[in-house]
Amino acid sequence: MNNLIRVEFFKLQRNKACWILIGTVIGISTLFHYLIITDWWMMRNTPFDSIHLSELNGLFAFTVPIFFNLIVSTLAAFYISTEFSPSGVIKNQIISGNKRTQIYLAKFFVFSLGSIFVTIVIPLVTVAVLVILFGRGDIFDFTNMIYLGRAYGLFTLQFLGYTAIILLLSIITNDSGKTIIFSILFTIVMYVMEKLAKPAFLEVIYENSIFYQFMEVFKYTMTSGEIIKSILIGAVSTIIITLCGIFIFNRKEIK
Amino acid sequence: MSDIILRTNKLTKKYKNDVALENVNITIEKGAIYGFIGQNGAGKSTLLRLVTGLAFPTSGSIELFGNDHPNELTESQKRIGAIIENPALFPDMSAYENLAVHRLQKGIPGKESIQKTLDLVGLANTGKKKTKNFSLGMKQRLGLGIALLSDPEFLILDEPTNGLDPTGIVELRELIKKLNREKGLTVLISSHILSELHQLATSYGIIHKGELLEELTSKQLDEKCRQHLQIKVDQPSKAAIVLEDTLSTTDFEVMPDGTIKLYSYLDDVRAVSSALTMKGLLIEHLSQNGDSLESYFSKLIGGQGHE
Repeated sequence: MNNLIRVEFFKLQRNKACWILIGTVIGISTLFHYLIITDWWMMRNTPFDSIHLSELNGLFAFTVPIFFNLIVSTLAAFYISTEFSPSGVIKNQIISGNKRTQIYLAKFFVFSLGSIFVTIVIPLVTVAVLVILFGRGDIFDFTNMIYLGRAYGLFTLQFLGYTAIILLLSIITNDSGKTIIFSILFTIVMYVMEKLAKPAFLEVIYENSIFYQFMEVFKYTMTSGEIIKSILIGAVSTIIITLCGIFIFNRKEIK
Repeated sequence: MSDIILRTNKLTKKYKNDVALENVNITIEKGAIYGFIGQNGAGKSTLLRLVTGLAFPTSGSIELFGNDHPNELTESQKRIGAIIENPALFPDMSAYENLAVHRLQKGIPGKESIQKTLDLVGLANTGKKKTKNFSLGMKQRLGLGIALLSDPEFLILDEPTNGLDPTGIVELRELIKKLNREKGLTVLISSHILSELHQLATSYGIIHKGELLEELTSKQLDEKCRQHLQIKVDQPSKAAIVLEDTLSTTDFEVMPDGTIKLYSYLDDVRAVSSALTMKGLLIEHLSQNGDSLESYFSKLIGGQGHE
């Protein structure tokens, strides 16, 4: 398993798309935060705005599935799907005599870390640097750090569920383009579900899904029960979707 | 300890409307170079994909190094090196990096094995050149390098000469022979370039439309393809005596249907016919026969030719 994880890191480090994404996100994130901190761009009604952390408003964009999906699905398309087609290098991995379950888990682990780094860590670091550079570092007091730690800890857990979905999608589609298109469609469906009135049972399902939690975890105050519920939703979703992925990958015929 | 590297038992692979393999039983002994012959679409790659775990059989079983349990099979695959269909490479990586990925995923200790393999397949001087800029022949050689990196006991090659120039084909043949001779490497090689296989294989399996038509050693094949005079006379036993006494040869066989296969006097058919007629035998048929591997294969699959 260690070898497989090392292989995945080796491949990710040499993945052109990953470096392009890192560069793009650093650029966009820096510009975005700069415009917001200098009040050139006013964003309102974000979870950060309501608790007087308006300097961090730019982070909101990176917590919306319809936006961060573009990052995650691009990484999945050019890091995971291309291994099936056109390069077909997944064949070498299967023939190498490693268990398919382990291959899948190694991919999930490294893909998730890569996605977390690009989608969560880079925007957080850039905003922190800019806030400090603009002399507003005092907003990172103990209370706010606890809030950010709790919110981003829970967000990352839900995010793992999302990367598990995108990995599953990329394994099913076998194709970079299809991975991106289907993930966008999927995210749009979830977005529409969020906005539209829906039957009661769908409401219950939605409110107990990671998509609802993406917003919930940024509430300034959460009860212990809400935190536990959020942890359970993130963890259970990740485990179930990963098990589905392993099941499918173990039965997948490689062309 | 079993000397059988690969054995399949009634291996069958069906797709929705298509039977790719049906009840295929092949046996490959340790140290053999097994030539797997068949037209495009005959089922060669399907069998190789089943053996390497890329696809799953509909029924039947695969025994690899004496193991046939699914978990043991995965473990046994560590002792295999393979190229299936075309070499699978990372286009944005160099030859060295491609081998480095494979070294890590196979858990091969020591980076020196990478340089050794690059030397072996003649790609030591490719430096940082990305494989997307490689010629087909270079890709094929790198694919072979990946297959050989872990020093496998069993090498599976699917159409390995695709894209190789004549020199490359000769080099590949010599390399396989050398590895087979010096390291006892067992090789399963599928190809439709039969003349190539004929110079390499020690045994053959002939597949057509998903069915294994015949399995034979190179000796048996040479015997079948050997040039001979085919003689049909009214009294085969008397003809045998004439061949022995008059032509002083025992290099012939009397077949169950009474036909005689004479392996000498190929350049002197007249001497044979006059010896037989002078002894009062009626010659019903006399012709020079014998197959090349190509024509033998064509006959076996029903004269449909091959690609």
